[in-house]
Amino acid sequence: MESGALKSGAGAPRERTEGWNRYVTRYVTGVTPLAVLSLLLIAAFIMMNAAAQNSALFGRLYSVLLLVNILGVVLLLALILLNLFHLLEQYRARVTGTRLTVRLLVMFVVLAVVPVSVVFFFSIQALNRGIDNWFDVRIERALDDALLLGRTALDALKQDLVKNTQTMAGEIETISVTRKIGGPRSELSLLNALREQYAITELTLFTQDGKIVASSSDASLDTGTLLPDRPNDAILAQVRQGLVYANLDAIGRSGLQLRVVVPVHPREVGAPNRALQALQALPPRYAKLGESVQSAFADYEKLVYLRGPLKFGFTLTLSLIALLTLLIAVWAAIFSARRLAAPIRELAEGTRAVAQGDYQKQLPVTSHDEIGILVESFNDMTRRIHRAQSQSKRSQQEAEIQRAYLETVLGHLSSGVLTFNQRLMLRTHNPAASHILGVELKAGERKPLAWLAERYPLLQPFTESIAQATAAGDSEWRTQIELPANNHSRTLMVRGTLLPSWRGKRGGYVVVFDDITTLIQAQRNAAWGEVARRMAHEIKNPLTPIQLSAERIRHKYLRQVEEEERGALDRATRTIIEQVEALKSMVNDFSEYARSAQLRSRPVDLNDLIRDVVELYKNERGLAAAGVVPLHGVAGRTGRKTPRPVATRLELDADLPVVSADPGRLRQVLHNLLLNARDALATTPKPVIRVSTRTVTENLHRFVELKVQDNGPGFPEAMLGRLYEPYVTSKERGTGLGLAIVKRIVEEHGGTTHAENLKEGGACVTIRLPVGEAALAEAPLHKPVHAETKA
Amino acid sequence: MRACAKTNWRCLAFLLLGLAVLGQAAADFKVADVQPKFADQALVLSGNIDLGLSSQVEEALSKGIPLEVIIEVRLYQYRRFLWDKQVATWTLHRSIQYHALSGQYLVSAGDPGSETRESLLTQQEALKSLGSLNDLRLTLTNVAPADNYSVDVRASLDIEALPTPLRPVAYTSFAWHLNSGWTTWKVAR
Repeated sequence: MESGALKSGAGAPRERTEGWNRYVTRYVTGVTPLAVLSLLLIAAFIMMNAAAQNSALFGRLYSVLLLVNILGVVLLLALILLNLFHLLEQYRARVTGTRLTVRLLVMFVVLAVVPVSVVFFFSIQALNRGIDNWFDVRIERALDDALLLGRTALDALKQDLVKNTQTMAGEIETISVTRKIGGPRSELSLLNALREQYAITELTLFTQDGKIVASSSDASLDTGTLLPDRPNDAILAQVRQGLVYANLDAIGRSGLQLRVVVPVHPREVGAPNRALQALQALPPRYAKLGESVQSAFADYEKLVYLRGPLKFGFTLTLSLIALLTLLIAVWAAIFSARRLAAPIRELAEGTRAVAQGDYQKQLPVTSHDEIGILVESFNDMTRRIHRAQSQSKRSQQEAEIQRAYLETVLGHLSSGVLTFNQRLMLRTHNPAASHILGVELKAGERKPLAWLAERYPLLQPFTESIAQATAAGDSEWRTQIELPANNHSRTLMVRGTLLPSWRGKRGGYVVVFDDITTLIQAQRNAAWGEVARRMAHEIKNPLTPIQLSAERIRHKYLRQVEEEERGALDRATRTIIEQVEALKSMVNDFSEYARSAQLRSRPVDLNDLIRDVVELYKNERGLAAAGVVPLHGVAGRTGRKTPRPVATRLELDADLPVVSADPGRLRQVLHNLLLNARDALATTPKPVIRVSTRTVTENLHRFVELKVQDNGPGFPEAMLGRLYEPYVTSKERGTGLGLAIVKRIVEEHGGTTHAENLKEGGACVTIRLPVGEAALAEAPLHKPVHAETKA
Repeated sequence: MRACAKTNWRCLAFLLLGLAVLGQAAADFKVADVQPKFADQALVLSGNIDLGLSSQVEEALSKGIPLEVIIEVRLYQYRRFLWDKQVATWTLHRSIQYHALSGQYLVSAGDPGSETRESLLTQQEALKSLGSLNDLRLTLTNVAPADNYSVDVRASLDIEALPTPLRPVAYTSFAWHLNSGWTTWKVAR
């Protein structure tokens, strides 16, 4: 009916339309008005039928009833047409159930119209034939004859009366001549005598202009008036011309009478003509028979004349009744069709709603027949579907929750987890897997394992191991693989499990792997530490006797030997002593590395420590050159002086918080770092060491950061991955323990070490030490000096 | 003229009806002449009404169907600024019937005051008698003779008085709609 997006402004007309529709449905197309109208019409027809049969009561109302009925039928027709129009509109709008309604309607109408039409047709035929049967030619002839006979009989009477009257007139003429003096009185007595003689009912003498001269009437006759009956002007005119008037008069209630008027010619010359009227009531027998013949003839004539109108009237009534019957039948058909189709329409709408996903649809059960059972079944079905649907929704939600739970767990797992389906397509992965493998696994989702191997060649050992293990068909397997990284290899521990099969299909695989490089490193470090400790212990013991022996040899025999051999001895003993010293230093380094952590922590201001160490180097040198701190090798370590001037720049954060640390160990760290830097700068033209500190906050943790940078050649690329391993060195004579020790000490303090090559050249080692709560609690020891030392 | 001034809905209806039966105008009722006058607490009417019957009605009459003619009389008092005031109305029922045995037409005028019944030989005479107003006295009260009065007269065939079966035919046929329409006559002083 309308496009869904009606604006708010169009709301009022729409409501009005709906209200009108409701009104139409309620008062025009509803059941009540039609039922009431039909009943009224039937009542009116009953009355009209009574009226047509000349009932006194309804006879007067006949026309009104007819009009009421015609109007009622028209109104009923209009209502039905409106109903049909309404139905047609619904049919065009394809409202559910209308097709069925229309089909039922057509069927009902046909069922009603055919019998009514047949009955109507035959009724009309029978009616017309019945009315025609009332009339018969012989009866008509008989009545005509009866009337003629009556008239003839009456004519004979009339002729007698005319003859008598003329005789009487003659006598009056005589009397008037002979007894002129007597005047009217004598005429009256004559009239009385004549009336009695001829047995006339009323005898009256008139002048020519109709004035009564004398009159005599039978006293026994109750005429109801004292005045004699006066002939009308036409009769008098006829009589004036000398003619005789004779006729049968029908007078009111007194029945029939013969009226004869004859002229009375006076014998005297010049006397005016007069008229004598004789009224003779018919003998009762004649009167009764005549009236009977008259009324029968009149009724029959009337009936013959009314044959046409009577047929018309009956046909009209019958047609109206047939029309009313038809219309009521049509209306009943509309009503029944609607009634029958309503539950089916509701069912159709219900199923449509269900098809569109509304499973809460419940239909009202209006009947207890088969359709009612159907509706109940429908309701039951939707209830069940709704229940099943909500259950599935609930389990879906539960699965969602389970999945989210699993995802969270997997997401926060440090181990990498990958799952594959039975065709080795990647199904799921967690962030740790991407992180450990160093590739973006998102792109590999729903891709086969081979795709991963092809896309990321570095992962080949990993993918191959999985492929092999799955090909072997073991339900559980574990293997350790080396994954080549940029400059170093990483070790992964990979474990695989066959997932349980489902519905006879082989399950997929779950592969869990960990990066155990660090673990192995730690194991190796521990092993190295053990070795170093033993070596230091084993080697250190004989070194002191060797050194002392060499010194004794030198001291005792240097002056005793020949001059030419003295030099050789001197060189030899010195070499021994120096090498032993170097060996001792090396052993000390080993023992330092292997020494177990025994921290004596206290709050330390890192800036002060840095200044101390740098100052120490400055003092060691002894030669102060402005802005240049020439660091030289520790005596005896390299065995030779390297008086190269190296600039040291301090960029210390004045607001640096104190850290809780072992100052001795930290001094060692600084020492190692500075020595490394100095060694790296051996061939650099303008060597600079930059030492900087600052405070860093990361992930809600505060750190003190120390950076030692140089502008040397940087770390060799090949070594970057293994810088902290012992005995990894680029120096000719290095033990390779410097950075290893640094890392170890820093880790003992809970910090981190990071070494990198700078883009602008040179190496940078960054150390972060945590700022402990205890250390923070103490007063800051910083000095408000920006320590840019150019010593 | 005055009749139109006193237009009511019937006037228009009969005008339309009149136009519709124009073809049968020859056979219709017509108030030919009326001379009203006041006389001693009564309105006296003289004159005659031409009652022309259509062939169908004539046939019905000759077959013994009684006909009833209604003569309506309305007395109006003239008012200068307002519409005329209706003072009194009378409705006279007159009937005519053919008497087969005597071959006469019986005319009964149920006029107030004079219940008469006449037998007349010819239909013409009978109709003339039926339409004649011979000093017809219509009783009246409270009339101020100083004022101007007028009388509206209309004659029509009463279909409702016809036998029941004939009524539908009469209603649906123009031949049966015999009506003179309102005519206005000034009351002589």
